[in-house]
Amino acid sequence: MKKRLMFVAALALTGTLFAGNTLAEEWTREFEGESLTFLDVAPNDVRTSYYEELFEKFYEDTGIEVEYQSVPWDDAADKITVLGASGNLPDILTTWSGWLGQFTESEWVVPLSDYIGDSIDEYTDVITDCYWKSEKTRYGDIYTVPDGWMVKGIYVRKDWCEELGIELDPTQDWTWDDYFDLVEKLTDAEKGRYGATYRGARGGFDIILTYMQGFTEGATFDQDGKILINSEECQEAFKKWTDMYLNGYAPEDSINWGFAEMVDNFKGGLTGTLINDSEVAATLIDAMEDDQWMVMPFPVSAKDGICYNTMGAPYAYSMSSFCENKDAAWLLLQYMTTAENQADYCVLTGQIPIKKEASDLDYYSEDGYYGAFLHQMNQENVAIPATYGPFDYTDLHQGLLHEEVQSYLLGDESAEDALNNICTALQERMDEYLAENPDTEIETALFVSK
Amino acid sequence: MTRKTKNTISGIIRGIVLAFYLLLVVLPIYWIIVTSFKTNAEIVNTQHITYWPHVFTLENYQHLFSTMHYATYLKNSLIVTLSTALVVTLLSIYGGYGMARFKFKGKGAATIFFLITQMIPSILVIIPMYVFFARVKLIDTYQALFIFYTITNLPFCAITMRSFFEGIPYVLEEAAFVDGCSRSQTLWKVVLPVMFPGIVAVFVFAFIGAWNELIAGTIFLNTQKMWTIPIGLKALVGKHNVEWGAMMAGGVLALLPTAIMFIFVQKYIVEGLTAGAVKG
Amino acid sequence: MSLATKRKLQPYLYIAPIMILLLLMFGYPLIKSIVMSFQDYKLTKLNKIHWNNFKNYKNMISDKNFWLLVKNSLVYVITSVIGQFLLGLGLALALNKRFRGRGVYQSIVFLPWAFSSFVVGLLFRWSFNGEYGVINDLLKKMGVIEKGISWLGTPGYSLAVIIFAMIWIGIPFFAINILAALQSVPAEIYEAADVDGCGTFRKFFSLTLPFIKPTIIMTILLRTIWIFNSFDLVVIITEGGPANYSQTLPSYMYSQAFSSYDFGMAGALGVLLMVVLSVYAVIFLKVTNYDKAGDF
Repeated sequence: MKKRLMFVAALALTGTLFAGNTLAEEWTREFEGESLTFLDVAPNDVRTSYYEELFEKFYEDTGIEVEYQSVPWDDAADKITVLGASGNLPDILTTWSGWLGQFTESEWVVPLSDYIGDSIDEYTDVITDCYWKSEKTRYGDIYTVPDGWMVKGIYVRKDWCEELGIELDPTQDWTWDDYFDLVEKLTDAEKGRYGATYRGARGGFDIILTYMQGFTEGATFDQDGKILINSEECQEAFKKWTDMYLNGYAPEDSINWGFAEMVDNFKGGLTGTLINDSEVAATLIDAMEDDQWMVMPFPVSAKDGICYNTMGAPYAYSMSSFCENKDAAWLLLQYMTTAENQADYCVLTGQIPIKKEASDLDYYSEDGYYGAFLHQMNQENVAIPATYGPFDYTDLHQGLLHEEVQSYLLGDESAEDALNNICTALQERMDEYLAENPDTEIETALFVSK
Repeated sequence: MTRKTKNTISGIIRGIVLAFYLLLVVLPIYWIIVTSFKTNAEIVNTQHITYWPHVFTLENYQHLFSTMHYATYLKNSLIVTLSTALVVTLLSIYGGYGMARFKFKGKGAATIFFLITQMIPSILVIIPMYVFFARVKLIDTYQALFIFYTITNLPFCAITMRSFFEGIPYVLEEAAFVDGCSRSQTLWKVVLPVMFPGIVAVFVFAFIGAWNELIAGTIFLNTQKMWTIPIGLKALVGKHNVEWGAMMAGGVLALLPTAIMFIFVQKYIVEGLTAGAVKG
Repeated sequence: MSLATKRKLQPYLYIAPIMILLLLMFGYPLIKSIVMSFQDYKLTKLNKIHWNNFKNYKNMISDKNFWLLVKNSLVYVITSVIGQFLLGLGLALALNKRFRGRGVYQSIVFLPWAFSSFVVGLLFRWSFNGEYGVINDLLKKMGVIEKGISWLGTPGYSLAVIIFAMIWIGIPFFAINILAALQSVPAEIYEAADVDGCGTFRKFFSLTLPFIKPTIIMTILLRTIWIFNSFDLVVIITEGGPANYSQTLPSYMYSQAFSSYDFGMAGALGVLLMVVLSVYAVIFLKVTNYDKAGDF
């Protein structure tokens, strides 16, 4: 926190982020006296004070009052379920990508294409060509405006590598096999050091899927809707990944680790690498010394040389269909995502800006903390792989996916059976979905820069 | 064996038993308290676990008060919890007495209904409640939580109260009737003093049930100025990490009011109001 | 109104306030969840609600984890209840006699009950971590084990940790209840027994027990139901893992049903629990002779 605050303070001293662009924008006062509600699903001191200040400014500029509502992240899904089911959603809500399928199916959120209109040119390419394109493919329209951009990377203990004489260059491509090598080398059970922060609990299959997609050109299903990740190559990949755990390069306990253990362990010096979102950098900047860690880009597939990286928006904004004054709500959305406000938000919360104008900031240069993340966004061989599918898979994500892997790790079933069960479940969902929506366009990997 | 040695032996056994329970409780609480005074770097240092803070710090507590509005949460929790516990206790006395002392049609069914209320999936109860509260404009108010907590704690507390009434010999009341007391007078003047320990116990249950409730709180409250302590604590769990230090400090502070309440009421649990008067 | 009618109405007057409140609050959701349990009722498909010929129930029972979950749930409930009861009874008996510092002692040993299960859950999850948990560190220092045990990653152990946490929280509940009941036992009964020269054990079984029996029966019944339904510790400590070895039926089914917005399924599980637990309650009250308990 301290370091980040110092950085922000420095910004304040040298003028605002947009020293050359201080022309105050004129905001319409057409909706003066109206009031809106906004729901934040990840409140903490930094975010809360950011939003409260922003809404105060918004009130001064437009005369619209905004009530800042919040719910702890862990209970957010439950709260939104109740709000939606009872027809009481707030006007603007933060929407995690995993919920969007259900929100659109329940028609709780409204399409935004018409509102966005020509302003689409203000957004960076990755938003227009990947993020929104994928949303259109999956849900038929644009439903969210990203709050920021998040890229995955591999956090590595720089000091351990130096001790062992390992040299890593974040500006060069490396393969997943290089990564497995690194994990093996960093493991030193005697010293209580493990190479990998293995994620065994919920969400644990996500990264395995990404790795396997290196053998399927980033797809999950082929154009006929047949599952691809049960090929022989993928089975091998599945075993190779899980070998990290079985060979003891990850703590035995990690079979049941979730989010909290992962970051804690890396911070605490138990594990040497951590695969996670760029958002985590903000935590690490506070908790660790600069010479202790570094970020490596996601490895490329040995098969096609492509780096598949599941990027996304951490908490995108959407407009509820219960909103009574949608034009006022859109005004608020615009306000929240002006290049200036957006950049402030990104610096505070550890995201990458979504507006072209803001992404030129020095803070986001390639030698800053975000260097390795940004580097990936500028490479021609970086692509966002397909998701599990267009259907609703929250319950699988909640259970079956990681449970099957755990069963294999415990020796209760073979790797083939585990992967087969997963593929069968996904295939069933897909068949059902295609039967109902025969015109579905099957997702493929999307390249970040053409 | 003489009576004296017998007493010594049973004294020693009791001592061991009491020490066992004390350790069982104190060790985890010690761990929470000690952790709350450590820096975050020390807490997550997985290579070296410290049993006493290496660097003693108050930053976790400061964090709670400066950025988390902990004092506001405390006030909200106290208002909601105390009002709930009082009303639940009062209603339970009447309901419990009615169930214990009368034979009437539908008594068995009523008991089962009380129990069944505890088995309905909570979300199916919360949604219609939300619709109702929204309609009468009670969302984000103390009243919403008070109503919800009162009703959800009632069945348990009433049944518990009933079992306490059933443990009291009926002869006590009969004697009072003979003296010409009405039922209500008998209840207040004769029965309740005897079972004061039970009343206190029920009060404690309702208090704690409301004090620690989380889900309804997160759903019926919208703004942070209305949050109760459990919601504030839950907000320390983020998408990627848990703020352990602040969480433990918050755990300690959340415990303080209940601990103080225990100190006040515990003697009534073992002594009753007028222990001597009735028993003598 | 005649005296007889008044007499007849009296009991209803006493329980009316509670009954009305509970019916208002729970009546609708109760009926609604029974109805939904027989329907395809998904929040995402509210325009396609229809009767589905017991499909929710069939799906529930044909889930390949169903019997593992039933087994886990039974182990979890039975050991937790027995553990809480025996330890709670022991504590209550130990506290039932005066000793110096009893007030302070009592205030401390009741504290676990005052913790929110969410904080306790996190504490246990963190302390039992196989790599950096304080439990392994202590056991190693005491020389009990050489290598850390992966508590939460090993089938069997992970459920045991949840049960331990559950017992830890719940001992004071039993202790307070039993102690409160013990304190209402008239003192003259013991005096009479002392005159008769009864031994400690006989005194407990033939004199004390009948008085506190209604409380014990009801406490066990209430706790069984409560523990069976409560899954926050499961979710916080292990998320049911590894591979469902510490998952209980309610925690699994609810998380499945809610994550897919399938209220039909949630309703079916609720109905199943209601039926099973009501049958249990009726049998339990019959077997323990509850109606006769407390008749003096």
